[in-house]
Amino acid sequence: MQTILVVDDELGAIEVVATALEDEGYRVLSAANGRHGLEKLAEGQVDLAVIDFMMPLMDGAALGRAMKEDPALRNIPIIMMSAVGESLIRERFSGYTAFLRKPFRISALIDTVRRVLT
Amino acid sequence: MTQVDDGVPALARLPSGIAGLDDILRGGFLEGGVYIIQGSPGAGKTVLANEICFRHAAGGGRAAYVTLLAEMHTRLLQHLRPMAFFDESVIPDSLYYVSAFHTLEGDGLKGLLDVLRREIKGQRANLLVVDGLVAAQESAPSDRDFKKFIHELQAHASASGCTVLLLTSGLLRAVSAEHTMVDGVLELEDQLFEFRTERSLLVRKFRGSGFLRGRHSFRITDEGVKFFPRVEALFASTSRPQVLRNDKIAVGIAGIDKMLLGGLPAATTTGLIGASGVGKTTIGLHFLSASSAAEPGLMFGFFETPERLCLKARHQDLHVTSAIERGDVEMLWQPQRENVLDELAHRLIGAVRRRKVKRLFIDGLGGFLESATSPQRVSRFFSCLTNELRALGATSIFTMEVPEIVGPVVKVPFTGLSALLENLIFLRFVERGSSLHRAVSVHKVRDSGHDPCLREFFITDRGVHVGEVFSGVEGVSTGVAREPASAAAGPHPPTPGV
Repeated sequence: MQTILVVDDELGAIEVVATALEDEGYRVLSAANGRHGLEKLAEGQVDLAVIDFMMPLMDGAALGRAMKEDPALRNIPIIMMSAVGESLIRERFSGYTAFLRKPFRISALIDTVRRVLT
Repeated sequence: MTQVDDGVPALARLPSGIAGLDDILRGGFLEGGVYIIQGSPGAGKTVLANEICFRHAAGGGRAAYVTLLAEMHTRLLQHLRPMAFFDESVIPDSLYYVSAFHTLEGDGLKGLLDVLRREIKGQRANLLVVDGLVAAQESAPSDRDFKKFIHELQAHASASGCTVLLLTSGLLRAVSAEHTMVDGVLELEDQLFEFRTERSLLVRKFRGSGFLRGRHSFRITDEGVKFFPRVEALFASTSRPQVLRNDKIAVGIAGIDKMLLGGLPAATTTGLIGASGVGKTTIGLHFLSASSAAEPGLMFGFFETPERLCLKARHQDLHVTSAIERGDVEMLWQPQRENVLDELAHRLIGAVRRRKVKRLFIDGLGGFLESATSPQRVSRFFSCLTNELRALGATSIFTMEVPEIVGPVVKVPFTGLSALLENLIFLRFVERGSSLHRAVSVHKVRDSGHDPCLREFFITDRGVHVGEVFSGVEGVSTGVAREPASAAAGPHPPTPGV
């Protein structure tokens, strides 16, 4: 079973994304900000990180950069999520594999996750 | 900080950037201050705070918007996207949205304070909005803990020069610890007046600065939030000193100007009172058609569209359209809908200022009265409005419709009105024999004599023409002319001017 880490400061968003991914047969871990996300990543094998961009304490860009700098984490693909356009996000961090603009449909999430994991 | 004369530094301001609000706050929030913005759900807190953030970012500032509610930012941004102030390009560099709901749930007020402190520092924010203060209050183990949280936030805001806006749903106690501790409390309300609602702001407290007290109306449209400082508060003193002038402004009708001994005293206010159809608007069109580059005119009307008024003027050979084309006259039409009284006044005064209007025709007073949700303030409202118009140098004519077509009694729209107006001109229908005639009379003119006679006037295809004094009859001012008893037995006098 593949494991996906969902990092988002909005509880409602985590619930929606986690439920949808669990329904598809993935194991889901969650964290409320970048710092918690790093702690979860350190705990064990994560196959994909789905990360919100704007979060308190450590944002998605900082988390992404931290992952790229860590040899143990740098190969984990990242799907970045944000309510603002991708061009604004890419200026701050471009090391993600796919981008999802909020709000998105569950089908778009699942399609993107499948594409990134295959 | 701004240095003042005595060497004591004055607190610098963080302008809200919201139309009208900075007038109410005398320049904006104080930098490093903590303010509560409270109001029931739907009162407009979130839109207001977001617009302040976007305008702050547009001006080069940096803001962080932290929500303690379960509401998703995605949804919030979707709702804001159609509004004119929304500019996605400032997110996330200058305006950053985060949720601290998780943190509050897991780590309580201490964790929340840590998040707020880090967001101010990390985002280099000089404006912080915390949406959902009530959630923080509910999670506080005691009032003392909540008070401590506010105190620490305040200390941090002050030290970092970051202005903090705390949004809450208005369920807080009227005099609670946080109200006493913060630098200001702004209360938003959406009040129901029978069928219509009107939004208002009341500044309950604002430390370190004067502000406009009392309620002020505001609107939320796709353009954003716009406040209309209450006229009685904003113009309690006129924006410039009134200069008493001795010159006169011609109405543009020879007969009426003769009755006024040359025209209306400049920079005064005139009531033109009469029943529907008696000729008030036509006289106003004469007044406007005499506008020039030196005496710009403004029509501020509620009832007839500019197109209709231009057509009416053309039918009477009055050159209003050409005056508009030359830029000497502007027509501002206010469709009759649920207008906000102070919004109308600000629109009017704005137009008078913009074009340095000298000839102002307002058709009519009823449009203002219908917009008033509080009849008690109407007299004072008009007093301040007309004072400001005088100070701006506008010679104003207000039409006032009375319900009686013919009759002995003329009811003015509200008590004390005639005292607010320096000049009063009455227009009346007069029944004589089996036909209706029109009569004009001047009842008062400021510091000037005038012709006290009742004169007949006619509306022709060349405009208004004033005829002779009604002679051979009495009771004209009652609306029903009759022959004097002594002459009743004799032959009828000739009917003048008909």
